[in-house]
Amino acid sequence: MAHRLVETQPQEALMELTTTVNDEARVLDVDGTESAVDVVRDGLGLTGTKLVCGSGVCGACTMLVDGEPVLGCLTPATRLRDASVTTVEGLADGDDLHPVQRAFAHHDGLQCGYCTPGFVVDAVAFHDRWRAEHGADEPDGPSRVVIAEALAGHLCRCGSYEGIYRAVAAACRGEHDGGVGDVERVDAPAKVTGAAVYTTDVVLPGMLHAAIRRSDVAAGTVGPIRFPDGVVGLDVLGDDRRVRWAGQPIAVVAAETLAEARRFARELVVPVTAHDFVLDPEVAVRPGAPLVYPTRGERKAAPSAGEGESMPAPWDGNRHGPSRSPFLGTLAKRRVGAARAAGRRGLVELEFHTAAQLHTAFEPHACVADWTDPQHLRVWLSTQGVDLMRHAIADRFDLDPAQVEVVAEHVGGGFGAKLSLTTEATSAIALSRLARRPVRLVFDRHEELTGTGNRPGSRSRVSMLVDDDTQAVKALVVDTDSHAGVAIGNSVAALSMLLYERTPRLARDVDVVTNAPPGAPFRGPGGPTSAWSLEQTVDEVAHRFGRDPIGLRAQWDGNQKRQALYRWASALPTWERRPATGSQSGRFRRGVGVAAGNWIYLVDPDCEVVVSVQAGHLVASTAAQDMGTGSRTVVARAVADVFDVDPTHVEVRLGRSHGGTAHGPASGGSRTTVSLWSTAVEAATSLRDRVGTDLGRAPDGASATAKRGGDRGLRAVPMTMNGIQIGRGFSAALHVTEVEVDTRTGKTRVLRVHGGIAVGRIHAPVLARSQCEGSIIQGIGLALYENQVLDPHTGLTLTANLEDYRIPQLGDTPEIDIHFHEEGWDRVPGGGVGLGEVATVSPAASVGNAIFNATGWRPLTLPVRPDRLLEGLRTEVTR
Amino acid sequence: MSLTILTAYDERPDDTGDLVYRAGGTDLQERLRTTGATPHVLDLTGVPGFAAVERTDGGTRLGAGVTVATVARDLAADYPALALTAAGLATPQVRAAATIGGNLLQRTRCWYFRHPHTSCFKSGGVGCPARDGRHLYGVAFDTAPCVHPHPSSLAMALLTYAATVDTTQRDGLGVGDVLGDGSDPSRDHLLADDEVLTRVTLPPPAPGERAAYFRSISRFEAEWPLVEAVVRVVRDDAGTVTSCGVAIGGVAPVPLRLSAVEELLTGSTLDDDVLAEAAHLATEGASPLPETGYKVQLVEATVLEVLERVRS
Repeated sequence: MAHRLVETQPQEALMELTTTVNDEARVLDVDGTESAVDVVRDGLGLTGTKLVCGSGVCGACTMLVDGEPVLGCLTPATRLRDASVTTVEGLADGDDLHPVQRAFAHHDGLQCGYCTPGFVVDAVAFHDRWRAEHGADEPDGPSRVVIAEALAGHLCRCGSYEGIYRAVAAACRGEHDGGVGDVERVDAPAKVTGAAVYTTDVVLPGMLHAAIRRSDVAAGTVGPIRFPDGVVGLDVLGDDRRVRWAGQPIAVVAAETLAEARRFARELVVPVTAHDFVLDPEVAVRPGAPLVYPTRGERKAAPSAGEGESMPAPWDGNRHGPSRSPFLGTLAKRRVGAARAAGRRGLVELEFHTAAQLHTAFEPHACVADWTDPQHLRVWLSTQGVDLMRHAIADRFDLDPAQVEVVAEHVGGGFGAKLSLTTEATSAIALSRLARRPVRLVFDRHEELTGTGNRPGSRSRVSMLVDDDTQAVKALVVDTDSHAGVAIGNSVAALSMLLYERTPRLARDVDVVTNAPPGAPFRGPGGPTSAWSLEQTVDEVAHRFGRDPIGLRAQWDGNQKRQALYRWASALPTWERRPATGSQSGRFRRGVGVAAGNWIYLVDPDCEVVVSVQAGHLVASTAAQDMGTGSRTVVARAVADVFDVDPTHVEVRLGRSHGGTAHGPASGGSRTTVSLWSTAVEAATSLRDRVGTDLGRAPDGASATAKRGGDRGLRAVPMTMNGIQIGRGFSAALHVTEVEVDTRTGKTRVLRVHGGIAVGRIHAPVLARSQCEGSIIQGIGLALYENQVLDPHTGLTLTANLEDYRIPQLGDTPEIDIHFHEEGWDRVPGGGVGLGEVATVSPAASVGNAIFNATGWRPLTLPVRPDRLLEGLRTEVTR
Repeated sequence: MSLTILTAYDERPDDTGDLVYRAGGTDLQERLRTTGATPHVLDLTGVPGFAAVERTDGGTRLGAGVTVATVARDLAADYPALALTAAGLATPQVRAAATIGGNLLQRTRCWYFRHPHTSCFKSGGVGCPARDGRHLYGVAFDTAPCVHPHPSSLAMALLTYAATVDTTQRDGLGVGDVLGDGSDPSRDHLLADDEVLTRVTLPPPAPGERAAYFRSISRFEAEWPLVEAVVRVVRDDAGTVTSCGVAIGGVAPVPLRLSAVEELLTGSTLDDDVLAEAAHLATEGASPLPETGYKVQLVEATVLEVLERVRS
């Protein structure tokens, strides 16, 4: 069907104003409602300034107007009249970075880099002000509280706050006046100057803008959609015409401007017959509840919240499962039943609830598709897997993978939500084919917080039976219902089976589907949820028998790497001065908690790296991507190691699928570094053996390719699925956390976290530390603040903005100490495995145990908001 | 032209379409982005005296456009309760842009109202979806059809000063006259569509005034209050309270001045038992919603907190 574009409506009268931007006189046409970020980013193309929350909460769009930091999203564009504007691009003097930029690069005050321009711009203003006021009088620099208050208008989802504190204080102490010092993250300079290009920054000539029309009902059947004459639009609903959650995409339209596309989407006539729906998982399993998937065919198409394929499991109404992970499961059940009947002291049974945690990567889901050449499809996509997506797109649109190129030069965070081919990509691509023009589709924060996935909420019942005398585990039964909305495939209880003693045990995982937005993989899928229940149950056993919680775990745990972490943790002063549980009575109560983490070891055996000499310098390429975790740096360091050069002398080309020349791993499942490092070393070594180390004399274009391959004889299962091979052995973590509970206001502050991580050799220590710090920050968010809330009458997501969806701030950051145990993975090429998941499993549980230690009240429900804490303490007192 | 930069408060363009006044823009710009609305904007920042602070014998006059940051900084010595409240809200960048007039007249921060796909009393619809829906951050004094608390922290502090407000049509309004009592749930304030808040007047400073402000939140800062409270007291040499003002926010359709608490404190020496009694008294009349029972306890905690702080 042919579509023609509507003639662009004549622009409303605009106000012309003159301004100076980065020392250059500019003339801007602005209308009355625009904000500064709109004219600076879109009008002037200064894309270093990022738009994230759009509501003045996150500060990513901060720019200086007459030297003062202002929020680009809330500042009317008219305020730029006759002003002097400085954006992140204007802070450096040529290549000479501002001391604050140097400090951020040196101290790694960034990961994905999407919030970085805002932080840097505001920190520059703070730095200049602070030094003018304090200068040399305060040689230690500003305190953490002073920095936190000054930068309270900024958020970082990766959790780079420790690095930001270090950077700002160091810059104020003048430590970077002379130079930057070592910079481990090779793309840090691009990120602190705003030069790093993200998908949202891509602008192509003749590009159209797309907008999605989403369902405002939680269940319904949609009739045929008629697009007005001339509107380029697509119906994106499945053949069954069903919508199953509020916010689900129904149709997508493209227009010359974003405002116009949004208007078309809004005004589109969508005939919907609303159906009964169910949001409450408890109601969903009752007889007669509306069925989310009434037919077998619909169930088969249910999306998965897990990584990889779902295990086959039976359906019963809205229940999918159980998936069982038993070892003498019947015996485990029988022992628990008998102990319950006998009222055995050694039986601890607790029920836990967790809330859905939203990823809210700061770069939203975004795609720019260019299919103007029918033989070649170019797709800029904010994704965790450029090569994975190349194949998925080729499959979906019936192309040869060689015809598809996927580009993600920089990725502003993903956390698991950008691992599959979703609406922003499929829609932009299909619209580009239809319109024969490039099409851009970028989710706004509201869409990002509604429909791009979440770590599902859950209910877990744990029964742990230990011997009264020795506390040897006699049985463990864990039942978890996961609440991933319309999605299935959760694996939570199963993860509880992997840590302690080989005793009879049974895990049952059930998905309870509802008409809530779908869950998606989120760093360590199932891990933090599982630890929240298991690790608190262990803590309860320790408490009941007066055992040291670390010593008890050490008694049970066969993982030698975690044994090393137990020894490390036991000697920490924070642990040694831990108070007796319930011993405090004042208003502020401090407590220390411990929790263990565990993760499987995954690798991509097909990973390839090409290392070549081009014009006398080293170039390494692979179709991987860097979402802030540091894959670009890892490859550079591996190659640099071999040639004994500085990593900055290695040009790393990744973030492009390269038409299939080198397969790269997806950034998920902690498999990127372990796949890339040894492969890059091998390719570099082979090149060095051939051309020597005098690159000036090496033949131009000489190259060597290496492929990772599996770990011989060390696979846990003999097959590779979707670029994932499960290796043998488990990585380990241990978090020791100190909190302070204000029993008056119900507020919990995390004061200190020690994170022990046993993943073998660390290839980029500064970046590894940043990522481990970030997982602690995200764990604190899960523990204390983050909570998706839906309207019970419509299913609409109420926490669809960053005011109401509360993520940790700079000032919520505890002092963090990261300890790497680097032994135990010698059999893996490179000597180490990934850490992205294992580092994220236990922080929240350690907060829960610390609150128990502080107050004597055990928080069973996440997040531990002030209202819950106050209620908990009240019931504790009356008990 | 979709924009008029006003040079006088009572200037009105001929345009009869959708008109909206703008000061700092910290509330309006977010709503425009979310809704995609394109009203004709009447920008107030060019009006003479908009951001002026004028000190007279009769008190201090603040132009409607005086920023929250200016209040926090320049009034700290003379009006500490107001200044501490100003310093405790939002973020440094918001405080630098947001105005006292805009803070008083901002629209509700309810997650239903701010959601692009819901309708409620305040967005031109009928009913309050939060009442039977989710209202974790709702009122604990359920006295009006809309159950979200008024967002103005400065209004709460201004109540304790009995400050007055001038508009283009009326002079000497109390803060309560401007905000009403919430009984008309469609409104966040009672000014007419063509009425502009021009000035806030504070009485002369009270020598020796001490003040405290506290905001109960879950994180470090930069979060809408679960409950907030402010207190200002003047004590004589013996430590006896000669005058005081206490108000709370985040709990009712409008900020509440707690006269009974003030009466209890006046004449006292702020002993522990008086403080405890006063904090408890602050909860009198509370009628929480199913999800806001915790706020009653937090009112007591927060009032006790500011009383202890002001005493020390």
